Amino acid sequence: MALIAVENLSFTYPGGKAPAVKDVSFAVQRGEMVALCGLTGSGKSTLLRLLKPELAPLGDKTGRILLEGIPLEDLPDGATAFRIGYVMQRPEEQIVTDKVWHELAFGLENRNLPQPVMARRMAEMAAYFGIEDWFDRPVSQLSGGQKQLLNLAAVMVMQPEVLILDEPTAQLDPIAASEFIATVRKLNRDTGLTVLMAEHRLEEVVPLCDRLMVLDGGQMLALDAPRQVIAGLKGRQELLCAMPAAPRLYHALQADGPCPLDVREGRRFVAESYRNDLRSLPEESAPGNESAALEFSDVFFRYEKNAPDVLRGLSFTAREGEICCILGGNGSGKTTTLSVAAGLHRPYAGQVKVFGKKLKEYKNQSLYRECLAMLPQDVQTVFLKNTVGEELAGAEVGLELLPFDLLPLFHQHPYDLSGGQQQLVALARVLATRPRLLLLDEPTKGVDASAKAKLITVLKNLKQQGMTILVVTHDVEFAAACADRCAMFFRGQIVSQGAPRQFFHENSFYTTAVSRMTRGWFDYAVTLEDAAELCRRNGRKEGGA
Amino acid sequence: MRSFADRNPVALAVYFLATAGVAMLCMEPVILSISLAGALLTFFVLGGRRGHGFALGLFLATALINPLVSHNGRTVLFVLNHSPITLEALLYGLAAGGMLLAALYWLRGFSAIMTSDKLLYLFGGLSPKLALVLSMALRYVPLLGRQGRKVHQAQLALGLYREDNLVDGLRGGAREFSILTTWALENGIVTADSMSARGYGLGPRSRFFLFSWRTGDVLLAVISLALAGLALAGAQSRRFAFYPQLSAAPMTALSVLGYAAYAVLALLPAIFQLKEAIRWRLLQSKI
Repeated sequence: MALIAVENLSFTYPGGKAPAVKDVSFAVQRGEMVALCGLTGSGKSTLLRLLKPELAPLGDKTGRILLEGIPLEDLPDGATAFRIGYVMQRPEEQIVTDKVWHELAFGLENRNLPQPVMARRMAEMAAYFGIEDWFDRPVSQLSGGQKQLLNLAAVMVMQPEVLILDEPTAQLDPIAASEFIATVRKLNRDTGLTVLMAEHRLEEVVPLCDRLMVLDGGQMLALDAPRQVIAGLKGRQELLCAMPAAPRLYHALQADGPCPLDVREGRRFVAESYRNDLRSLPEESAPGNESAALEFSDVFFRYEKNAPDVLRGLSFTAREGEICCILGGNGSGKTTTLSVAAGLHRPYAGQVKVFGKKLKEYKNQSLYRECLAMLPQDVQTVFLKNTVGEELAGAEVGLELLPFDLLPLFHQHPYDLSGGQQQLVALARVLATRPRLLLLDEPTKGVDASAKAKLITVLKNLKQQGMTILVVTHDVEFAAACADRCAMFFRGQIVSQGAPRQFFHENSFYTTAVSRMTRGWFDYAVTLEDAAELCRRNGRKEGGA
Repeated sequence: MRSFADRNPVALAVYFLATAGVAMLCMEPVILSISLAGALLTFFVLGGRRGHGFALGLFLATALINPLVSHNGRTVLFVLNHSPITLEALLYGLAAGGMLLAALYWLRGFSAIMTSDKLLYLFGGLSPKLALVLSMALRYVPLLGRQGRKVHQAQLALGLYREDNLVDGLRGGAREFSILTTWALENGIVTADSMSARGYGLGPRSRFFLFSWRTGDVLLAVISLALAGLALAGAQSRRFAFYPQLSAAPMTALSVLGYAAYAVLALLPAIFQLKEAIRWRLLQSKI
């Protein structure tokens, strides 16, 4: 018998015109790992929440959801709370208590378990998740990735049979995200835990999951092994753009045969199907502008007198009219660099110049008037008003630059928008001050693939209008697609920089999936467009696969 | 090393309340001197360091104000503004100041070792609900502060503050505050979801204890109470009085025993730390 069976499920929010979930039927067997994907607003969250009665939204629901053949409504109180584990998107807000140990104990306390049982289960979980070292710590000292692992552990400690995850890695950096997904996969393999996970970062999930479900406008478009599902998405560009690089290349080339899923299969696909007489595309040389928009010279900074240096002799120049991406690991000082550039922190040695003028010489907030603006990592800190409309009043300048109309969102609260929408509204808000230098901190965090593509278009438009953009990001694919120059940040300084093709070609781990896929076969192919173009120009191998 | 601070929080609370309680209940010079010395020693031994200005001020104020407002006592030292300043009132002021000082330092020593986990354990004993609310507050209040700072920095770099002036500053601050409340409510919903998703509110809750009772902890509590009782009895037997003239009953075996008991009590934390340090030394030298 299927562990979860959904029969003809439809759901409409109160006052909603169209159903958010429409006639969905599927079954999940015990021990399966099923990934859910779909555009923002396709009903992923609604569907997942309906599977967890404690979180089910209010509205008009028809159809049935069965857990081991028993409708959810007929299960005793508490059965669904403890048998179905649920992890949400935002790591910080899900945490209830102040200490790691207390968070782990929370669910067990709710079950009214005796002390020895709780102690054993907590010890087990702490050891399994490797969180013994931070058992006594306040949760405020954990990184985002650690917080999300704690949320997972705090659910797993109750020994649920089903684990539901709603975009759990959206707010994490790529390294923490893949660690999180690997942990989920390990749980699934080690304990036979049934997993249902909605994701928009599919690069990691697709090769790991047993089945992939695609939702489109509340309807289930497909549910099958990922290879079959992706092969069937021909022509659905908006859905494909969230897929891993290998299947995207496969579709871009309209190839046939089995669809490659990960980098390893992608390498084989390219090398076996295409010739490589032409190894690299001709380099387009962009006219260089030599005047500096932002200049760091030998900047040293630390947060406290006795703390270690965060910036150690940082020297770096962002030229006028370019998009410059700073990449680097967690805690390497990228965000600090931006706040120093924005004058929020003052370095103890060295100099920062904005448009040739020292930061100190910008008096009376003049730095922030038509000169420089920074978009912080947490875009929720940008919004001050109750609706998008109020937020953007006076920001007409920004609106024209955006690729699509924000008007339909004007009556909504900024917090109710999706991550991608929030980022674009925040961007419009920033543009109202008409900055010439725009600093962006992780603009792709929590943004799905199609919104990311829009963001890239916007940034390129802004560059056309002469704006200088400095982006700090973990997202190599994003940097490869939009930067004029990339710089690698490590331990408080820039260790390498160059044009994206050069830069990513020379990196062998910290680089795009396409670059890893075509390495050794083509040179300097870092974006999907590069690789597809090279394949097309070279042509297929005679008798190739 | 199981130091004094690692004892069961309830036992610790009993110790500190008993020790400070004796000092507060008897206005008796010997007890107060022992208590003050012990309190300062304990405070430093437990890792307290700075911030003595307030305590000193409190002491001086109490010691000086008493002779100015109280004119009881037989021994007039001098006359100020037609009011007699008496030796007894001066000494009483000193004693009262010393008592406040001792109590203050006992409590500071206590708070130096009372982490939030221990407080939670103490108050959670009264009510598990209270414990949870406390724990949530301990997370939420600093979180709100951090978010406030983040919002402020974000708005600064977005040009919310047009100029450096007070009106602009206040207006911006009010907006930031208002969004912070929205943010708190908004995130409260997520937290509430997360709680009910993990079965909160389904029935009776149990409570996970980070601390357990060992024989040593029980002993500490019992010994503290016994020594405090002896000290109280000993001090009472002296029937010490400041007014109208300094007077006391002659020393007896009981009073000597009381003083000795209180000295041991006041030095307990230091003795513990010393004992552990020595034991550790010995263990190390064997390795």
